[in-house]
Amino acid sequence: MIRPSEVLFGFLDEDAKKEIRRALLKAVALPGYIVPFASREMPIARGWGTGGLQVSLSIITEKDTLKVIDQGCDGSVNAVNIRDFISSVTGVPETEDTTKASIIQTRHRVPEHQLTEGQIIVYQVPYPEVLDSVEPDTARQKEMHANNDYAKLWVLLYEDTSQFGDSRMASGYPVAVNDHYVMDPSPIPKFDIAKLNNSQALHLFGAGREKRIYAIPPYTKVAPLTFNDRPFQVEQFPGKACERCGCRDVFLDEVHLDDGVHYFCSDTFHCDTVLNTRGEGHAA
Amino acid sequence: MSYVAIKGGAEAIRRSKRFFQEELASAAGISEDALQHGLRFACDRVMGEGALYSEKLAAEAVRRSGGDLLEAAFYLRAHRSTCQRVGEAPILDSSTARILRRISAAFKDVEGGQILGPSCDYVIRLLKTMRRSGAQNAWPDAAQPIFVPSALNFLREANRVIRLDNTEKSPFDITRFSPLPPYPRSAVMQTMARGETGSLLAFAYTSMRGYGDVHPTIGDLRLATAPLYFTHPFTGKQVQIGEMRLTACETAGSFQRDRRDGKVRLSVGYGFCFGYNETKAIAMSILDLAMSHATFSVGKHNLAANPEMIIHHVDGIASMGFTNHFKLPHYVTFQADLQVFRQAEQHDQAK
Repeated sequence: MIRPSEVLFGFLDEDAKKEIRRALLKAVALPGYIVPFASREMPIARGWGTGGLQVSLSIITEKDTLKVIDQGCDGSVNAVNIRDFISSVTGVPETEDTTKASIIQTRHRVPEHQLTEGQIIVYQVPYPEVLDSVEPDTARQKEMHANNDYAKLWVLLYEDTSQFGDSRMASGYPVAVNDHYVMDPSPIPKFDIAKLNNSQALHLFGAGREKRIYAIPPYTKVAPLTFNDRPFQVEQFPGKACERCGCRDVFLDEVHLDDGVHYFCSDTFHCDTVLNTRGEGHAA
Repeated sequence: MSYVAIKGGAEAIRRSKRFFQEELASAAGISEDALQHGLRFACDRVMGEGALYSEKLAAEAVRRSGGDLLEAAFYLRAHRSTCQRVGEAPILDSSTARILRRISAAFKDVEGGQILGPSCDYVIRLLKTMRRSGAQNAWPDAAQPIFVPSALNFLREANRVIRLDNTEKSPFDITRFSPLPPYPRSAVMQTMARGETGSLLAFAYTSMRGYGDVHPTIGDLRLATAPLYFTHPFTGKQVQIGEMRLTACETAGSFQRDRRDGKVRLSVGYGFCFGYNETKAIAMSILDLAMSHATFSVGKHNLAANPEMIIHHVDGIASMGFTNHFKLPHYVTFQADLQVFRQAEQHDQAK
């Protein structure tokens, strides 16, 4: 897509980008630490990815290749809308190919393909503050982070585990970053948490409505909060495989149709890749 | 197979947008004058919540959004992000603004008198009595411009009003920095001035009944027009760059012991917004009163006295956007929820 000449590259003015980049640098320097930023109003609504969008627009250059996914899917309506907007104000090429993208903006998933050095993944974040569920006061939250005091969070995990066998936090499960700050990894399933640990890529998190930015730099230890005698349990699909590509070791969408329950890959690019590879195999 | 249903979003979005625009096509026939003047309270509300003083753009936003005022305010906010910050204008004093309407509920007679101006307060709300008039609907200024000080001024001059400490050298700009606790008063006031009318109203209402200890008396409520000045970039002199219609409200609360010298004085709250929106200005003044003078309280139930509660929850653009985002797909998170739910069921059965 070609950017109209009257639109600023990346939509935001340079002052806004500079401020966001400085917040990003601070966030990268303090893995898992939440950095406030002004957060401009965007032409898409608050809560629809304005944080991720501002981060993407502040870091994107003419040389980048952009991928945007929602629920793992490039074709999901909001992903399409955001990708169209970013390319209309930057003119950068788009891709669905996880391996070819230099910037991936995502909501609720980490792609199945392993991310590599030089790639940046930008998360849209609804609730940046992991302590919100146990302590709503901003000043006290800051104090608790500073003191590495996550006792209330541990108590919540304990209470859930004792009553229900496991934490009720299904997505956005709290993780300790670099053995220090505990952060909300955005509402990705527990299945995706392992992909954050020691990742080669840079992970940036933007919460537009809540005006917060945080980051996980490459090769950083990320561990979910778990009790020593309770192994971390991720979502499982025993006996199920994607009905399209046959994959088993991926996160599956459960689809309820007239003829019963079906399972498909949540990551549509990964699904396409597996199908294509198999197609080539047959042709050879 | 419905797998492909989640793809093809681009075409669906394009058509949905067109459908929406076609549904509102007749709004194009409403004249700008009719919107700006005939629907002035809609436009004013949009200017205030959109945090941009432009009658023309507000009218256009009301048209484009089909009268959905939250949506219209959102247009102005998004437009605002494309504007460069020029600088700070000198303080605008609402007590020296040209009056259209000024009332005080605190005193029967006040300096400058009670000026009802245009008001729907005493309109009998019966639809059948509505008459259409072909008369022009712009409100003329009074023959002689009226300037009156705030009806609470004489109390202030007699040092009978609590004056809050001001330690801020210049006002906080919430559009350039995200305020952190302890929140500067200017940041809280700005947040409220851009706040959604209904949200401010609801929180203010909690403090009037049941969950607060504010017993407000409207000391001075005014609709006025104030000149706006700015420092000329070349000459360095202050020049008038325009005028602004505004609503301002000073509300008196109970007397309290002044922290500075221990004497009893009256607590006062202030509310302000762009254009004419009396409900919002009154609600804001009550919230300012509750937050700035939170000595008497009903403990932790005093919602409106907690800046943490107000500052994060009154912005219409944020709360509307977030509430509506629940329309977006949540397949993955709900799938994860269901898995944990099933595990909990199994955990119960195993007991």
